[in-house]
Amino acid sequence: MEYIFEQHKISGAIEADDQFWRALEEGVFKLPRCSACKTWTWPAHFRCGRCGSWQFEWVALEPQGTIFTWTRTHYAFDRVLERKQQLPYVTVVAEIPQAGGARVMGVLKGEDRDLHTGMPVRGTIDPPSAQSKWYPSIRWEVVR
Amino acid sequence: MTKFRGAAAVVGIGQTPYYKRGTSPEPELKLALRAITAAADDAGIDVRDINGFISYASERSDPAKLMPALGTREVTFASLVWFHGGGLPATLNIATCAILAGQADVVAIYRSMAERSSQRLRVMVAQNDTSSQYLVNGLDSPAQILALRAQRIIQHHGVPQSALYAAVAASYYHAKKNPNAYGRSIEMSPEIYENARLISEPYRLFDCSRENDAAACVLVVSAERAKHLKQKPAYILSAPMGTMEGGGALEENWRPYYATAGQVELAQRLWNESGYGPKDVDVAQIYMNMDSMGIGAMIDHGFFTMEEAGEFCRFENLIAPQGRLPINTSGGDLGEGFIHGMGLLPEAVRQIRGTSTNQVPEAKLSLITGGPGDLMSSTALLGAAEAL
Repeated sequence: MEYIFEQHKISGAIEADDQFWRALEEGVFKLPRCSACKTWTWPAHFRCGRCGSWQFEWVALEPQGTIFTWTRTHYAFDRVLERKQQLPYVTVVAEIPQAGGARVMGVLKGEDRDLHTGMPVRGTIDPPSAQSKWYPSIRWEVVR
Repeated sequence: MTKFRGAAAVVGIGQTPYYKRGTSPEPELKLALRAITAAADDAGIDVRDINGFISYASERSDPAKLMPALGTREVTFASLVWFHGGGLPATLNIATCAILAGQADVVAIYRSMAERSSQRLRVMVAQNDTSSQYLVNGLDSPAQILALRAQRIIQHHGVPQSALYAAVAASYYHAKKNPNAYGRSIEMSPEIYENARLISEPYRLFDCSRENDAAACVLVVSAERAKHLKQKPAYILSAPMGTMEGGGALEENWRPYYATAGQVELAQRLWNESGYGPKDVDVAQIYMNMDSMGIGAMIDHGFFTMEEAGEFCRFENLIAPQGRLPINTSGGDLGEGFIHGMGLLPEAVRQIRGTSTNQVPEAKLSLITGGPGDLMSSTALLGAAEAL
């Protein structure tokens, strides 16, 4: 399969999360776990710092969690100008209990009033678009 | 007692004026030259004798470009500290290590910024190292990423917004009395603060530092040499750097703690090495690219707990001369001007010398905390001779 995000690759940072984006582009939410000691490693990395294994398994998960924290952006910042028309928008950091509390970022979808840490959220997957820099993206929605 | 404690001292300080970003009449490299030569003059040291050069983060005025104009006889030591503003106090660490190890005699620590010579600081600092996890989800700027931490400290830990305002008010109060502060004419009140435009919630305009064009430098020499120079030395008692386990490049996955500054372990090492504790500190320059992060730094250093933050962080407690902990006495990153935090170092030194425009009487211990929540950070305690 040809992945759209790979044609628009953002360089920098650790860059061990290709499988995350590939899975999202296939419509599945996956996070990595060490094949040997089963420790969830997020953000994805190349080696398990706990046991030394270089093997990870990418586990399909229900995208469900709670709001760990969030911000509503009101200003068009330099490198995310694609979202200028969407201002203000909310980015949520969701904590995923099934993945050892891994925290996964996503732009909020739906009702955005009275947001608070701890609120339950459910995720859906958006296909690549200009706004998400041609990457697929997880969208968190508050379960009310 | 470690070998490090008190082995070196800051003996010279130099600063250019602060300009609105993008308006410096001089390029970045020339600002760096001005700050370094001013620091040498202040110390009474021949600028050609500076043989160590240290900066941090995305500094571009490297010693190779500076030395022809400084008349440098020989560069024997040069280093750039990782990562962003977190590296600021760690420059004192590297300088002390270089001097202790005999690698340099006179070390210049400096930072220079002029937007027209480079680009917006908020872009420069990222060094093209922002991960796709942020950029795909509309997050780019330190303001947004630190807003996530602020939201957590407010909503989850219950630190009141009034604590953030108190830090802002104290900064601008001090700036008013500092003729070199860029923000000296800015009025501050709860209404002005609350009615300012939203940037990234919970941050409004005045929760954030501005970016300025300017340069600053401090000169470090051995404690022995410092005794014979013209300024009162500010001894480096401790300047630990690092990141705890569960920190680093973790894209909002920091554990065991998240919403403060990542400086708990650093502070512990600072107190252990210096032999002092938070109650002993006379004055503190708290790095505040964003105000809540500075509140987190003070929590990490043990000045107060999450629960006590609202009570401790009141305007009257944070101002010179008589507050419980006068902070950012030059106006700091918020009120004086922001060149990646570098203005904090000379002000911490002025407090030891007794020459601040918001002087804390007989200050003996002067703290500088580094970029809070940075991937790697640092903190430093300066002391007068009596504190050695």
